[in-house]
Amino acid sequence: MATIELDLLQGTLDLLVLKTLTWGPRHGYAVTAWIRQTTSQRLQIEEGALYTALHRMEKRGWLESEWGLSENNRKAKYYQLTTLGRKQLRAKTAVWTEYAGAVFTVLQTT
Amino acid sequence: MPRIPGIRRLLHIQRGGAGVDRAVDDELRFHFDMTMRELMANGMTPDQARAEAQRRFGNAQQTRERLAAIDRSVVERERRADWSSAFAQDLRYALRGIRLKPWFAGAVILTLGLGIGANATMFGIVDRLLFRPPNFLIAPNRSSRLYLVQSYRGDAKPESSMGYRRYLDLKEGTTSFDAMTPYYINVVAVGAGDGTRAVAVAASGADLWKMFDVKPVRGRFFTPEEDAPPAGTRVVVLSYAFWQTQFGGRTDAIGASLDVGPAKYTVIGVAPEGFNGFAAGSVAAFVPLSAQGGVDLGVRTKDPWYSTYNMTWFDTFARRKPGVSAEAASADLDHAYQQSYIKQLEGNPTQTRFDIARPHAFAGPVLEDRGPNEGSDAKVTTWLVGVAGVVLLIACANVANLLLARALKRRREIAVRIALGVSRGRLLMQLVTESLLLAAMGGVAGLVIAEWGGGVMRRVLLNRSDTGPSAFADPRLLLFAAALTVATGLLTGLAPVFQTGRGDVASALKAGSREGTVHRSRLRVGLLVAQAALSVVLLVGAGLFLRSLSNVQNVRMGYDVDRLLWVKLNARGVTSDSIEDVALRNRLVERAKSLPGVEHAARALSVPFWNTWGFSLFVAGIDSVDKLGDFTLQSATPEFFQTMGTRILRGRAFTSADGEHAPRVMVVGESMAKKIWPTQDAIGKCIRVDVDTMPCTTVIGIAEDVRRGSMSETQMHYYLPIDQFQRRSGGVFVRTHGPAAERAEEVRRALQTLMVGTSYVAVTPMSTIVASQIRPWKMGAAMFSIFGALALVLAAIGLYSVIAYNVTQRTHEMGVRVALGAQAQDVVGLIVREGLLIVLPGVALGAIIALVAGRWVAPLLFNVSPKDPPVLVGVIVTLVAVAVAASWIPALRASKVDPNVALRAD
Repeated sequence: MATIELDLLQGTLDLLVLKTLTWGPRHGYAVTAWIRQTTSQRLQIEEGALYTALHRMEKRGWLESEWGLSENNRKAKYYQLTTLGRKQLRAKTAVWTEYAGAVFTVLQTT
Repeated sequence: MPRIPGIRRLLHIQRGGAGVDRAVDDELRFHFDMTMRELMANGMTPDQARAEAQRRFGNAQQTRERLAAIDRSVVERERRADWSSAFAQDLRYALRGIRLKPWFAGAVILTLGLGIGANATMFGIVDRLLFRPPNFLIAPNRSSRLYLVQSYRGDAKPESSMGYRRYLDLKEGTTSFDAMTPYYINVVAVGAGDGTRAVAVAASGADLWKMFDVKPVRGRFFTPEEDAPPAGTRVVVLSYAFWQTQFGGRTDAIGASLDVGPAKYTVIGVAPEGFNGFAAGSVAAFVPLSAQGGVDLGVRTKDPWYSTYNMTWFDTFARRKPGVSAEAASADLDHAYQQSYIKQLEGNPTQTRFDIARPHAFAGPVLEDRGPNEGSDAKVTTWLVGVAGVVLLIACANVANLLLARALKRRREIAVRIALGVSRGRLLMQLVTESLLLAAMGGVAGLVIAEWGGGVMRRVLLNRSDTGPSAFADPRLLLFAAALTVATGLLTGLAPVFQTGRGDVASALKAGSREGTVHRSRLRVGLLVAQAALSVVLLVGAGLFLRSLSNVQNVRMGYDVDRLLWVKLNARGVTSDSIEDVALRNRLVERAKSLPGVEHAARALSVPFWNTWGFSLFVAGIDSVDKLGDFTLQSATPEFFQTMGTRILRGRAFTSADGEHAPRVMVVGESMAKKIWPTQDAIGKCIRVDVDTMPCTTVIGIAEDVRRGSMSETQMHYYLPIDQFQRRSGGVFVRTHGPAAERAEEVRRALQTLMVGTSYVAVTPMSTIVASQIRPWKMGAAMFSIFGALALVLAAIGLYSVIAYNVTQRTHEMGVRVALGAQAQDVVGLIVREGLLIVLPGVALGAIIALVAGRWVAPLLFNVSPKDPPVLVGVIVTLVAVAVAASWIPALRASKVDPNVALRAD
């Protein structure tokens, strides 16, 4: 059971990060800030885990990174989706939606 | 991001350990700064903001390490990709080079192929003779062939041949061995009717099956009970190959009856494919030693084969128990042999005394040629391994030379690449890749040559009928060839690498071919000197072996080898008495003489090089004739001397009057007569044969000496009328009008008609028997000649390419010379002199090496001094002539330089 939860959590993190990057290249701080704001802090996600997800997905070739200048002129590492990353996002979204739907149906059953 | 090899280095992008850590730190620091800044903008104090940021982030240290680890693995992967793409690029580049210059590549591949092929061929043979344990042998390190040593006239020669009683004494008297078996290979006729084949049959104890990791493919192996003296059980285990060819691999072969030699055996099993026991060649069938002993040696009541010490015919193999050291086992064996010797003395007090014989035994290597009695084939082959190595060295020198010439031509290209920032390491990698690729192709060519050469060597020179495994299917040979390929690739690649590694970029870039200084590579000249020297060494070897071969072929044997056939009788399925035996042999002689192509025929007991008979001799007034040397005997009919072509020097040969009951007479060889009666005439003397109470045998004639035990010395030999000694034994010598080998089949067919039942005759030309004696010299002469010629051709090509290259470099200079009035012959002389200046030091060096090395090759030569002047002079003249010829062609070209063209070029 524990591993399934972890897999679920990790898959969910990947999904969130990938989704965030669909609006264009962002650095790590922007990704975490956006997720926190969008979820209105309802999801308690450690930011360290988000960074791990970023690096791991870069290794898998879903993301690529480049050093650039931030809004306040500081060196920052920008992440961007690759074609492979977009494909992953579509696939994961479909799986997650179906999964969530199934769980929801069960919970709605009276 | 597209991957451009080398781009990171060019852009100075940091990578690897420290770079990764710093990048992670930078990223995280940016994150914390931004978070704190946002929190403080919302009204937190710096301390609160830091605490909140850390809370949100989680374990920062752990995350930092995790991120760095991920990034490092990415970097590592990229580095590997860089490498393989660089290698692929080098490979493409090298392949393009080969496509663009196919002749150059072809020359290199062929040269290396010959070098590697020669070595792979020799390795295949030497591996078989000296290194590879027999197939399936369970513990090669613990297995041995047993040797017995006895001092005889001050000589202590190890002997592996022993008899059954001795074997039993050793087996029962030792505790160090867990398996011990006799092993004896006999070539006999197997099968019946048209299917009869003369094949090798192994006779052994049941322990044979314990020493090898083999299981019967069909049926079973024989047991110790089936190998019990006096006559064992007549059962036979077939080899896989024999089962396939003679029984078509049928299962009903088990239980079938098979003629092995004169007796019928029952087939009980089939051994796995490739199993030959301890034999080097292929074996067709395996029988219990006792069964064969019972058939071939008879079951006499007095002193039978299994209880006599006076008969030796097989080698013994044994396996030490695990944990027993070789020394301990040999000591144990030694003791057992000495006990056995004492037992033997008790039964036969005339045996050499213990303190004189000093018997001693040891466990030697399984392979005969590794042991104390190595054959001359093995000795010559070992030499040839060295020769093949020299050929490879020459081939490498040549290829290095060719690659060097090309590297010199590419100096500018390489300088440009260095100036553009290609690292020297990368450049070296590329050059080595190129030479390794060429070497790999050469290696494949070499294997093809080894496949062919190995077959030829085994068939023609070693006279082994066994077809070894294909060169491509022999893992040991493949491994050897691969190692050789890598070594030659590196060796040949290294020379140009030195050259380019040293290159001064600026001067190379500036210089055109019209530069004032001519690049004369000292390395190239050095390689040529070495090649010339090695060629001299090999050619001297070839000359010495050719002279030996010619000497050995022209030596007077004491009989006419080319005109003789030996007819051996093989009785099967018939019991005959002595009258029938004599009559049959006489009929064979008469029938042979009636053939049109036959001049003479005579019966004889023994065949030179095949078997010998000897007895103790007693002469009045001489203390011990035996101490004077080994005397061997032949018994024959009167026509024997005419048949063999052996001259009677004085006195007379036998006549038909010297019959069974006539006074005993003997003809002695010249050297024997001189040895026994140095100051007197031997004719008319009395000599007693076997024991000193025998009646006198009177010497009636003196014959010329014969060679029948070794090519290099004559034998002290005597002849008795066959009617007075072993009248029912032996075979027939036939003397033909022309070369005997051509008549062999005709004679065999004519004589076969006289044989009864399944008995048959085997006809062997005397030249075949002698050929195996001459083989070491033949092999040495052939291989040294082939390798020497190869070396000479390679050296000539090398010299030609260097001179030709120098001439192109100096086209300008030649143009100036011609313009200033130099004649064509001046220019030719200049260039040829240059060629000689390179070769002569090499020739001198080679001659010195040949003279020094001659000492070791001397024992293998036949009546030739290793310092034979004609050979040395001949080789030196040959080399000088070749050097002149090789520099002549480029010299002619230089002399035809048109000053107009040459001075305007470039």
